[in-house]
Amino acid sequence: MEFKKKILANGLAVIGEVNKSAKSAAVGFFVKTGSRDETNQINGVSHFLEHMLFKGTEKLSTFEVSEAFDRAGAEFNAFTSEENTVFYAAILPEYLVEVTKLWTELMRPALRNEDFDIEKNVIKEEIAMYKDLPNFDVMDRCRTLHFDGHPCGNSVLGSEESITNLTAEQMRDYFAGRYAPNNMTAAVAGNFDWEQISSIVESACEKWQKQPASRKLEDSQGSKKKERIEKSNLAREHICLMSPAVAAHDQRRFAATLLATIVGDSVGSKFFWELVDKALAEAAVMQFGAMDGTGIFCSYISCCSENVSKVLDTVKGIFENLAGSGVTKEEMKTAKNKILSALVIKNELPMGRLIDLGFNWTYLQQYRTVEEDISAIKAVTIDDVHSLIKQFNLGDFTQVSIGPVQAS
Amino acid sequence: MERLDKHILKNGMVVLGEPMEAVGSVAFDFMLPAGAARLPQGCCGAGSVIVDWIFRGAGDKNTRELSDALDGLGLHRSGSVGSSHITIGAVLEAGNLAEAIKLYADVILRAGLKDEQFELAKQLAIDGVLALDDDPRHKVMLKLREKFYPSPLGRSTLGEIAELKTLTTEKTKQIINDDFNLPQTIFAVAGKYDFDAVVAQMESLFSNAKNGSQQDVAIVQNKPGYTHLHNDGAQVHIGLMTETVKPTDEDYYNARVAVSVLSGGMSARLFTEVREKRGLCYAIRASYHSLKEAAGIACYAGTTPDKSQETLDVITAEFNRLADGISEDEIERAKVGLKSALVLQSESSASRAGGIGGDYYILGRVRSLEEIKNKIEQTTVDSVLEFLRRERFEDFTVVTIGPKEVKVK
Repeated sequence: MEFKKKILANGLAVIGEVNKSAKSAAVGFFVKTGSRDETNQINGVSHFLEHMLFKGTEKLSTFEVSEAFDRAGAEFNAFTSEENTVFYAAILPEYLVEVTKLWTELMRPALRNEDFDIEKNVIKEEIAMYKDLPNFDVMDRCRTLHFDGHPCGNSVLGSEESITNLTAEQMRDYFAGRYAPNNMTAAVAGNFDWEQISSIVESACEKWQKQPASRKLEDSQGSKKKERIEKSNLAREHICLMSPAVAAHDQRRFAATLLATIVGDSVGSKFFWELVDKALAEAAVMQFGAMDGTGIFCSYISCCSENVSKVLDTVKGIFENLAGSGVTKEEMKTAKNKILSALVIKNELPMGRLIDLGFNWTYLQQYRTVEEDISAIKAVTIDDVHSLIKQFNLGDFTQVSIGPVQAS
Repeated sequence: MERLDKHILKNGMVVLGEPMEAVGSVAFDFMLPAGAARLPQGCCGAGSVIVDWIFRGAGDKNTRELSDALDGLGLHRSGSVGSSHITIGAVLEAGNLAEAIKLYADVILRAGLKDEQFELAKQLAIDGVLALDDDPRHKVMLKLREKFYPSPLGRSTLGEIAELKTLTTEKTKQIINDDFNLPQTIFAVAGKYDFDAVVAQMESLFSNAKNGSQQDVAIVQNKPGYTHLHNDGAQVHIGLMTETVKPTDEDYYNARVAVSVLSGGMSARLFTEVREKRGLCYAIRASYHSLKEAAGIACYAGTTPDKSQETLDVITAEFNRLADGISEDEIERAKVGLKSALVLQSESSASRAGGIGGDYYILGRVRSLEEIKNKIEQTTVDSVLEFLRRERFEDFTVVTIGPKEVKVK
């Protein structure tokens, strides 16, 4: 593995990790923008804009863009979160040049009114689709309630109303401010020629103008509010719990990952033994979400309505027990093994590697080898996890449940 | 040129391997011939119970000890119930492979199968079926397979509540005894491993185990038709399936290319016509799906109620129109897409283990990537059109879940 980087005069970071033994390559753009960078009035614009980038440029029609990706046999897509918009493609090395060129062109889209109007329908369909996925819906609502006014609580999709009211002009303004080269990273991983690919990116992007693209960073301790929503068509209770955690740049993020694995990995965790193994809930998981300037521990549980109070008592018991007795050496060892092997397996694929490469640069302006991450996980001590538990009381959470109508 | 390792154990179990140079991981699957279609009548869902129950203690270990041992190897478990098989497997760092196989042999041959653990496994299986009501996107495709495939091949892999409720420990133990039939079991490994060591270990772990006794399954054809399940959700979830050739058929690659023209990428016809031009859906896709005995093209679309009829009409029109003509460009893109997906998947040890096991079951041999690439390469506009005109996509099995029914012509 060989790391390469070039920071262009306009601030665009071009980074790459060359692995000559890979059969494929992956290339993408990481834009540091998401729903937290939106105002209420334009909520949902980052995600909508992500869709619009596939609608073409001054030179390329929508269909020509799709055709160009498909001609290269690319497995490509994009995603938008509270704070990032990521465009990526996995391809065979022989197509990397044309797909890289294509991405650089798409980063300067036409944003035509007629495409905007048609795509608005697709976005509304996507909002409707997530309403029918209560496991997603509950996490979205819980994030909003937890951050309670803090921009990280902004919905990624936006609402039916905010999308209806959004104009193409507002989107163009947002684009101009956020897709600035100094707010973006171009990343490449796998089997490729660095000199060739980096000069393609450089010559295509060097004319982009630098812009002030800042983000307000405030920590949030969460609202700790509780809310239940009833829906007549639901069969199960979907519960989301959220509490504060360390931020993405914090060295303690490795300890936080271990803690979340010990508490809520899908098998072999505390949640698993107390809730799933005992058939009190069919799903019970916890994840650590590292964000810019803040972080969350987020749990999702699905069970029948009759089990809700028993499930919540059990969860409280687990959190209290953690605060009192901490974790065991055995639990630490098992969680480390699980995380380390997942890390190694994910990073065997150029596509998996691209995501870590891009995010490490976006959040830390740092290149980290897989080996460095392995060492960091190995180095976490039981005291590190205990001091985290002390500082972030898992029992002090925001809670949203969505479930069937209850007989009063 | 990749190598394929193959060995048949004394008891008839097949051991397959595909070594991969660039990885440090290894993945393996045990394909046990105990899938949903093989279960006795009245036991729909027993597979979900079994795949949970057998991990609740095995050999000299109780539930907790077994789980800790597996987790201690940093192993990522997978377990699934399909039409033909229960597949249990894992992906892990190569150094722990022998230890992992030993634990899995215990799970298959010496599971604890305690009564109290059975009740928990059964409850979770019932909960899994109930939870499906909150996931209409998934439910519609399960229902679609049930309605499309000859019965019992499309039987729900999750189960039926009524049948799960009456399932007993005795009956379930009997199924495990009969259907964990080792001569019909396939073991596939891919990634970094030493094949001689794997074979020697498998021989010593499995050779003396007794065989099950399986009955042949009688198959009854289903007729295409329409089923609607009411749900007051935000969208109508549409599942649609039409018959096509099986992987053993000489037209298999023509069929795969045809599906790719319909739904291979963003420039394919369904995405372009349904989403890009008309904005009817967010999710729209069609893919080839096959069992050993039958195959079809399955399509999913989710759309709000006032657009559901138009969505279905546009989709069926696209299926029907395919035989009228396909351009050289479309065929070329479809072929490149299929070939490149093949290579990208070949970098993952887990997907290769699944791939070689599936090939062996359906074809009786494992195709090399080179062979598949060549076959894709040989398809032409003429070969695909000629196939489509002989085997038109015209009879559809349709299932919808949502607040509104559609009219199926």
